[in-house]
Amino acid sequence: MSRFSGKVAVVTGGGRGIGRAIVDAFVDEGASVMTCGRGPRPDELSSEVHWARADVSRPEDVERLRSAVEDTFGPVQILVNNAGVQVEKSVVESSDEDWDLVVGANCRGVFNCCRAFIPAMQSAGGGAIVNIGSISGVNADPNMALYNASKAFVHGLTRSIAVDHGPLVRCNAVRPGWIMTEMADAAFALADDPQRAKQDALARHPAGRFGSPEDIARLVLWLASDEAAFVTGQEFTADGGLTAASPLQPGLF
Amino acid sequence: MSARLAGKVTLVTGGRGGIGRAICARFAREGAKVYAADLTPGGSLENDAAEAAQFLKLDVTSEDDAKAAMAFVNAEAGRLDVLVNAAGIEIEETIETTTLEQWNKIFAVNVTGVFLTSKHALPLLRKSSGASVINFGSYDGFIADPGLAAYCATKGAVHALTRAMACDHGPEGIRVNAICPGYVDTPMLQSFFEGDGSGGGGGTIETLQQAVRDVHPMRTYGTPEDIANLVLWLASDEARYASGQLWVLDGGLSAQVQQMKL
Repeated sequence: MSRFSGKVAVVTGGGRGIGRAIVDAFVDEGASVMTCGRGPRPDELSSEVHWARADVSRPEDVERLRSAVEDTFGPVQILVNNAGVQVEKSVVESSDEDWDLVVGANCRGVFNCCRAFIPAMQSAGGGAIVNIGSISGVNADPNMALYNASKAFVHGLTRSIAVDHGPLVRCNAVRPGWIMTEMADAAFALADDPQRAKQDALARHPAGRFGSPEDIARLVLWLASDEAAFVTGQEFTADGGLTAASPLQPGLF
Repeated sequence: MSARLAGKVTLVTGGRGGIGRAICARFAREGAKVYAADLTPGGSLENDAAEAAQFLKLDVTSEDDAKAAMAFVNAEAGRLDVLVNAAGIEIEETIETTTLEQWNKIFAVNVTGVFLTSKHALPLLRKSSGASVINFGSYDGFIADPGLAAYCATKGAVHALTRAMACDHGPEGIRVNAICPGYVDTPMLQSFFEGDGSGGGGGTIETLQQAVRDVHPMRTYGTPEDIANLVLWLASDEARYASGQLWVLDGGLSAQVQQMKL
């Protein structure tokens, strides 16, 4: 199957984790893909994927990314705003640097990329944007204040873009739950007993497992595909049922 | 402070239940004429204010009862300003272990009861200069508690019915809202603690209660008086612009993602 033959996709933060799975899935289905990150190209990245060194929080970096992808492949039809950072702190603990880091990448980064790519998408006949939000943008994870708020920003911006830039541009958000990435491992590492914490977290998932980066990639690809042609301005949760259940689970006391 | 419901005619279904009697007591203290509608008068009431509410026999699943209750209120008071649909029951089962009889019963009380009581109250509510209907949804109408399937479904239905009633009858000057409580200290909650709620933990009811408190950002569960405070506000003219909304009152419980044992 190659739903994305002839399409050009930009995925931010595709060096590892969820972004990497999204990049690989687009390549598998025939898209030309460019991704970016703050560091050098990861060694194990598929040779078909183009890498740009870019910090999405910096407008000039995003402009360079746009020029690079257009020079290489032509106009972009698909933008996946995946790049994001998390800081595990409450409001009182958070420093100005934490604010700049989280809001810079998670909020300003999404804004920078949308602003840069939407005009070309429109003049080339249309496109699809998929933003990576989070279940934490709806319900709070403890001690993740700026991260939670930054993802709520992503959800809000998703609706605005859909409203302002339809019909040529569709924009949706995916809200992942607990996905086994380095970011999730970092959260478990904070626990007194990381192994017990992981078991407890698992028991709270009706699906009986945590998500994989591929679970998120499959949803992102569907939203980017023509099968989702009437879908815009919405948020889609992929969390194994976690947020369908009450936060209070007496069975796990 | 002056009485906030002075001169208002109010009717509370489930008015002798855990939350219902707290609402009746509060309404009476705030100067309202209160009809406490319920299946039975119940035992002696805790305080004079609850006692001040006039008992009215009402099985919310019976259309004849609804008509008779409203005819009585009409004859005595000539109108109704506030209707609180607080009657409700809970069944602690998954859909697999729920019988059709149980399913029909919980829908009859929790959903059909709101429909019948509200339907026959409408002519009286229209005679009010500012009518307010307050339904009882639940945070369970948004997110599931395990083993409460039919209950969760009835509360989701109440949420949708609340919005529909607000749309249809707003132009007639009738406001309709729902309160969505989380864990509130009532006989229903005690029954939950004594039943499936104890889960696999094997602890005492006291340790279970403490564990439940600890999951709440406010570190406590609610009292019927906490709920009555919001019912009072929604019933009063201070809430004249509030309609069609679902008011979650749960000590912050549902603001969080599930708390892993970290």
